[in-house]
Amino acid sequence: MDVFYTSPWVPPEWIAAHGFQPRGVWSSPALDLRAAPLAEGVCAFAAGVLRLVEARPAAGFVLTTHCDQLRRGFDALDDATGNSTFLFNLPATWQTPTARRLYQAELRRLGRFLVRLGGAAPDRSRLQPICQAYEQARCRLRAAAGTCSGRRLTELSAHYHWTGEAKSGSEPEPETGAVPLALVGGPLPPSLWGLLELIEAAGGRLVLDGTEAGERSLLPQVRLHPPGEPENQPTSTGAPRPPDTEDGVEILANAYFDALTAVFQRPNTRLYQWLRARVAARQVRGIILWHYVGCDLWRAEAQSLREALGLPVLLLEADETDGHSLRHAGRIAAFIECLR
Amino acid sequence: MTPPRKLSLEQWDERWRELHRGGLVEPAYGGPLSRHVAEEGDLRLRHLAFDPSPAALRLWNFLLTENQRLRQFRAGGGRLVGVMKDLGTVPVMAFALPAVRAFYPDGAWWTPCLMECGDGLFQHADRLGIDASFCPVRAMLGAFETGGHFPRPDLLVCSAGAVCDDFSAIAQRLETLGYAIAWWEMPRRRNPDEGEPACTLPGGLQAPQSQVEGVRDELERIGNLLGGLAGCPLTDTLLTEGVRRANQVRRLLQTLRNRVYGSPGAPLPALEMLVAEMLAIHFCSDREETARVLAGLLAETDRRCREHQWVLSPEAVRVFWVNPVADLRAMNLLEDWGGRVCGADFMITHALELIPEDLPPCEALARTALADPMVGSTRDRADRIIAQCRQFAAEAVIVSRIPGASHCAREGEIIRQRVRQELGLPVLEWEVPSLVDPLLPTLGSRLQALLETARLRRRR
Ligand code: SF4
Ligand code: SF4
Repeated sequence: MDVFYTSPWVPPEWIAAHGFQPRGVWSSPALDLRAAPLAEGVCAFAAGVLRLVEARPAAGFVLTTHCDQLRRGFDALDDATGNSTFLFNLPATWQTPTARRLYQAELRRLGRFLVRLGGAAPDRSRLQPICQAYEQARCRLRAAAGTCSGRRLTELSAHYHWTGEAKSGSEPEPETGAVPLALVGGPLPPSLWGLLELIEAAGGRLVLDGTEAGERSLLPQVRLHPPGEPENQPTSTGAPRPPDTEDGVEILANAYFDALTAVFQRPNTRLYQWLRARVAARQVRGIILWHYVGCDLWRAEAQSLREALGLPVLLLEADETDGHSLRHAGRIAAFIECLR
Repeated sequence: MTPPRKLSLEQWDERWRELHRGGLVEPAYGGPLSRHVAEEGDLRLRHLAFDPSPAALRLWNFLLTENQRLRQFRAGGGRLVGVMKDLGTVPVMAFALPAVRAFYPDGAWWTPCLMECGDGLFQHADRLGIDASFCPVRAMLGAFETGGHFPRPDLLVCSAGAVCDDFSAIAQRLETLGYAIAWWEMPRRRNPDEGEPACTLPGGLQAPQSQVEGVRDELERIGNLLGGLAGCPLTDTLLTEGVRRANQVRRLLQTLRNRVYGSPGAPLPALEMLVAEMLAIHFCSDREETARVLAGLLAETDRRCREHQWVLSPEAVRVFWVNPVADLRAMNLLEDWGGRVCGADFMITHALELIPEDLPPCEALARTALADPMVGSTRDRADRIIAQCRQFAAEAVIVSRIPGASHCAREGEIIRQRVRQELGLPVLEWEVPSLVDPLLPTLGSRLQALLETARLRRRR
């Protein structure tokens, strides 16, 4: 059975360990991103998620609280979906023990939901190899991020979030003189990858995919040792870590909580630290901020991105097309032209 | 006896002179209302209609002098806390401390309306990258940067998590601009799972004990920051007293609401009720005076009820109002067209509930904060609205949409469906911008259609 999740900060290995196939909802070919005609201000991505929930009664869905649109979208769901949907409370803060405990508690609660959905609660011997497989996949993709094109990494990340597996990267791209760009913003489902073609056609080269489920989503480093072996998991951020424990759920929760780097966090300094380091290392010359109409969280970052990274930012609104829109093409071409 | 008639600003000046000739004694912040136009640029007052009582005069003067009060307090050595988003909880803690006062920079929401956009706050927000796709609270950014609307607080506190995206994004932008913020986590309230330890919140909803404990821990952390600011720890004794005083205000407001909304005719207009309700969240920077202002309104209400003196025709259609309005004039318009507010959910219903006094005070505040209609399911909110519609015999519901507000994308439809299903009442979703004037013809016809539908239902 497929269990879809709406944020990469819900650990797919936890879903898989309960016997389900985790599916990052943004990777779904069935995600229908038509803008909602009636309710003005509805994010097309959030609306697409709700349509998918209704269209897939046999699947499970883990929605997340990270924005109003999804949180209230959950409230709008039909009662009939009640048994197969779960709202995961992703904490917005991250510097306090309270936020950590909230995340840990939510992961345990998700486990109970998955059991109600027909899954089996995993013991350590089941959880460990699944965590290891996911960690290996992310590890390969993290390594690929240093070498393959941003576009290729986007495809690989999407595949990982759909299957849990890492396809191999590609050879480093030859230097072509194309303008190195970062793409930052909301989720970019495969149906909108036409945008990537527009960037390339206009003489740009994507070197950093900072969209919701892009390279950032590969950050968690989960090292769950086999039963009986001591834990020795490094922290990724230096945040205070509770004492080592045999409890695999807690280790998994801490690994994700420590890696969480997202626009909805308060403060959102982790996102900017992450971006700053990569923008500098990859010599990014311009940023495309991709956001859905109604997505305040990303839209509000345009000016801060300019100020923090000292680079020009092109604000692109997701529309109903496949990303190939003429309007987008013209604006991207003009943007890249100015960066040459 | 002639029933009280609402007054324009000019008429109020004349009445003010009359009252003074008759011996009216006002508090230090009193005076004719029109001075707020001349001195503060509150041009919108010229287009509003006001209740004619001295109690209403005191209410308006109290509201419109908050900035001066804050500055005087600061000049006297007091410390100011800018509380953002939680609407009603942290101010109770701040006011429990000596020499600390809290205010809501969010209140700048209404500044463009009051100043008829002559303040330039929206343009300022535009320049800072926060355009009209955000709700009017974006005016707050401009207010911080210009410094003319409230003093810069000594401490800024903001809840995060189950809050609207507009505010979360704008507060983050503020922090990026150099205003340090102490964030605290507000989880999205959920129903307890089967067998999960739970407790009852003020207002009757249930929440898992673990959520209450999380919020309590966060409030204790914020309490320590407030204590540091005051130079005096926020002890349980101080906080218990703060809760008791806050409850005095809440009790007064509850009584006022029940009298006004429950009476057959309207003893007070909707606009004054909106302002009165807003006092509950931060006491307009003077908790004791808030209580006196509300007591004055209650005395006036009681007198009018005894004498059957209604400000509107008893035939007016009873409307339940959902969400605050970006333009205060909208409340007048409803009444001009034959409606009357008989209940409201201005997103602060949790700040009207009594804070439990039989619990440790931080636990009690955590429970109250979790009762916030905006942190839980919109369905819970709709159920409360339905219960209040029943209590106050509402004949129609207006959900006023707030331009750009992230929660409005979904909540109106959810509320409409449930109200229709449970009560069969007509529901109108009405977007109220900061200045409604250009939209009056279309707004008027939609509003009249709603009221007409409600009247037809009466005849059936
Ligand atoms: S794109 Fe923005 S509004 Fe839409 S679901 Fe994602 S975070 Fe929410
Ligand atoms: S979006 Fe709604 S809740 Fe948020 S600040 Fe604006 S009006 Fe208030």
